[in-house]
Amino acid sequence: MNPGRGWLDDLYASGVTPASFLPDASLGRQHDPDDTTVPGAAEVEMVEGADLEAHPVAPRAAPAAVSFLDGVQQWKVIGYDGVQPIALAYVAAAVRRRGFDRRLVTAACASRTLVIAPAQALAEQRRGVLEAAGLEAMPVEVDSATQPAQALEALRREVHRARAGLERKLGEQAAQALDREAWLVVDGQLAVSATLAKHPRAVGVIKSHGAQFLSGRHLERALTIAAEHRSSVFRVRGGHGRTEVDSWYLRLWPWEGRDLHYGLIRVEAARDPDPGIRAPGISSWLLAERAPLAAPDTRFDRLLYPIHDVEAYLRSRAPHDLLAPLASRLPQTGT
Amino acid sequence: MIRKSDETPIGRVVATELKPATPHQFHFWTATDTSIGIGAIVKVTSPGSRAPESGRIVYGVVTDGFAYSDLATPLHDVIGAEGDPAQAAERPTERPEIRLWTAAVLRQIPEEPLQPVPLGAVHVAGDADVAAALRMDAYLNTAQPTAIPVGLYESGGLEAPVYLDADFLLGPEAAHLNISGVSGLATKTSAVEFLLSSIFQHYPAHRGSVAAVCFNVKGPDLLFLDQAGSLDDADRRRYNRLGIAPGPFERVHYYAPFKADGVNLNTLRTHADLARTVEPLVWGLTEVLDFAEVLLNRDDIDAKADAFIDFLSDRVVRREFEDGFGGDHRVETFADLERLFRGIFDGLELAGRGDIWRTHHIATIRKVRNRLGNVSTRCKGLVTDDGPASDLPWGRFEDRGVYVIDVANVDPLGQDLVFARVVSKLREHLERRDLGVDAVVVFVDELNKYAPADGTDTYVKKMLLDISERGRYLGLVLFGAEQFRSQVHRRVVGNAGTQVFGRMDSDELATPGYQVLSAATKIKLATLPVVELMVRHPHFTQPIFVRFPRPSVLRGRDGVERFSPAADLPFADAVGLQLVRLDPRVRTNQVKDLIAGHDEVDVRRALAAVRRERPADALATFRKRLGVRVGSEPARERSSVHPLGPIAEEPY
Repeated sequence: MNPGRGWLDDLYASGVTPASFLPDASLGRQHDPDDTTVPGAAEVEMVEGADLEAHPVAPRAAPAAVSFLDGVQQWKVIGYDGVQPIALAYVAAAVRRRGFDRRLVTAACASRTLVIAPAQALAEQRRGVLEAAGLEAMPVEVDSATQPAQALEALRREVHRARAGLERKLGEQAAQALDREAWLVVDGQLAVSATLAKHPRAVGVIKSHGAQFLSGRHLERALTIAAEHRSSVFRVRGGHGRTEVDSWYLRLWPWEGRDLHYGLIRVEAARDPDPGIRAPGISSWLLAERAPLAAPDTRFDRLLYPIHDVEAYLRSRAPHDLLAPLASRLPQTGT
Repeated sequence: MIRKSDETPIGRVVATELKPATPHQFHFWTATDTSIGIGAIVKVTSPGSRAPESGRIVYGVVTDGFAYSDLATPLHDVIGAEGDPAQAAERPTERPEIRLWTAAVLRQIPEEPLQPVPLGAVHVAGDADVAAALRMDAYLNTAQPTAIPVGLYESGGLEAPVYLDADFLLGPEAAHLNISGVSGLATKTSAVEFLLSSIFQHYPAHRGSVAAVCFNVKGPDLLFLDQAGSLDDADRRRYNRLGIAPGPFERVHYYAPFKADGVNLNTLRTHADLARTVEPLVWGLTEVLDFAEVLLNRDDIDAKADAFIDFLSDRVVRREFEDGFGGDHRVETFADLERLFRGIFDGLELAGRGDIWRTHHIATIRKVRNRLGNVSTRCKGLVTDDGPASDLPWGRFEDRGVYVIDVANVDPLGQDLVFARVVSKLREHLERRDLGVDAVVVFVDELNKYAPADGTDTYVKKMLLDISERGRYLGLVLFGAEQFRSQVHRRVVGNAGTQVFGRMDSDELATPGYQVLSAATKIKLATLPVVELMVRHPHFTQPIFVRFPRPSVLRGRDGVERFSPAADLPFADAVGLQLVRLDPRVRTNQVKDLIAGHDEVDVRRALAAVRRERPADALATFRKRLGVRVGSEPARERSSVHPLGPIAEEPY
């Protein structure tokens, strides 16, 4: 649905000061605050041997049917109610299924267009304007004394939650619809959804390593494993991932000469009584997913191509004018 | 096959800043397994903002195609496959591909205001769409249609007839057709044969009658137009779709000059079953003199010689003429002319009147005598020293008749003469409207030879230019063919309203004349199958590819296999055959007995007279014309001056 621009004019007419501001990381979620873990909040158990070791992995053909889930979020500040920011956000998620022809087709897709603002900035009249335009109004509870920068951070979290919620919902639906031989690969943590975290053929692939569950010698071994190797499987309980999952590290590309995280992904899968048997198989076909290369995306060393494809698909469907500036950032003449 | 446009879109117009849609070009994408290809006609629809019917419809023809994936650089593919091409083939995910097509606009509806192509849905064109896109509706669905089928537009199993406008093919709006293509595939000849067949069946009655004159300039190409050739099911289906009844031409007339012996025809159509259908083409002085410029080069024809030839033509030939020395002449043949020249020279010598006769210097007269005297030698078989001519039926041309003149084995000079005279006579008669038909298609192959872009201005080239530039007003239409269009005089090809291209040579396609074509179109042209052509026509804003059925006549090379040419007959047998052709009652033995002891020159003269008169009793007329046998006389002793007696020692 294209809501047009009338609602925006009405919003400005109601006293909102026009603005056009793209906060940092508004195009993605490179700095995901949920991707950090609170020290001591998660409990880790070695389940494949007593010590964390590196195991060689050979690439192997992926299962015939694999679905990939990812989501995108875009947002911008469109006005200020006093000093409190009002943001327009677009979040979307999609599941793309790969079949025997090795091509990806969309199995499910969902999106939301939101106007997010501190609750006091979304008065009854303004909500009416938004609803009339088919937009979702999402008030955020912040203290009226909150600094604008803190309010902005609150909005950002809300956008993130909306996107994650959409992904979770779509992922759970996709997991329930999976055939007996089909798999689901989720971009990000599996543990955020109990359904996904318990599904035997769902796999989470984590590219960012803000959340670390290991420490000391285990951490060093995990982060320095060689290319085409995986770490031993460890079990994670608690933390922000509320459901217990098995996890291990897998190095797709050699990191020497680059940075520590180059080519390194962390894999999450449902708890398995014999993880040492399942992990090599999953690692083998995830290693084969190195090709095609997801370049020119800068995260190509860790970004699986099908996930990149889902992102490209979602971005192609995103409203093209969401991020377009409403006005030039140059000062107006005479001001 | 479809008749109606499919409502399901097969693509979508896209435009970017780098590849925008313009009023003349647009880009669209399709699925990767689309049936669209280069030359396909598509329809873009864009519903109006107020009402769907107020929208714009754009027809286009695909001129280029692109395919690419999201691969930013080939190096990424190498890295992903770790340098192993086999591994690249095993990657678990195929990159998405795009089929992006460029199309040139054929027509926009409404035509005004002319606007960029809307970013709408793209559909495959159906029959009605093809007619609208090529503006054929203006002459196809009218009270007096002038549509001539030229072939089938085929794309992805779909096909639609394509028509030319007779008013723009045979005049008077535009005229002439030029066809280019590499030699050896028989595409050019086949296309012209098919098109003539189409014209004969579809040329509208209200436009009058039409005939064709074809010069067979090489091999047996056009020698079996009256014989049925083999067709396959695809050909028959195409004929049916185009509304043309397959079959050989019904009224074909063959003409060929004699060989040097003057009795055997200089053609490959000499098989016993067909030989009687070939008429001799023989010309005498009166037919040739007006075309002396063709036979004599510029060094021969200076102003003085030209003036003397004009004098002969205007004052002497076919007139009672007194040479000024008491000799009366009636010059109708080269032999008569030779007698006149002898009279002039003897008269001047005896009268001692110097070097001038009737204001012409004797050197000029001697020069013209020498050059004209050589004509019958150089064009032996076509030009006769003596005797009457055998010519095309001027004034009695048949509607839908084909007149094939076989000059394949004739000396180049003779070919020039035949071409120049035939075309001149056609023009004369069409100007007077007494040819027998209203329009004539003249098919000339090898324009590279007859109308080259460079080289001297020959009489033939001037004639071709004249037809190209003024023929359409007369109904004289040139269908020219050549291998290298770039090497034909630009006014000859430029005046051709309809341009047809068969498979082209890559070097030829690299010449500037083909710059308007896209690289993909050139590639397609370089690989066209035998039965496919690219057509440009005044109504079509872009070239269109069409397929035509093979002509339903016997191909030349098949014809000579089925009707293998006969060996040259001995003189007496050849004369007998000629007479039998005129009168089936004649027996060859009778002829042999009759001509025994007669000079061959006398026999040829008598034969020519019978051929011209075409009497009921050919043998009797032949006997009469041959006259009595003249016995040979022993050579008389030449009178000479007696030698002087022995020189005496005493001189006095």
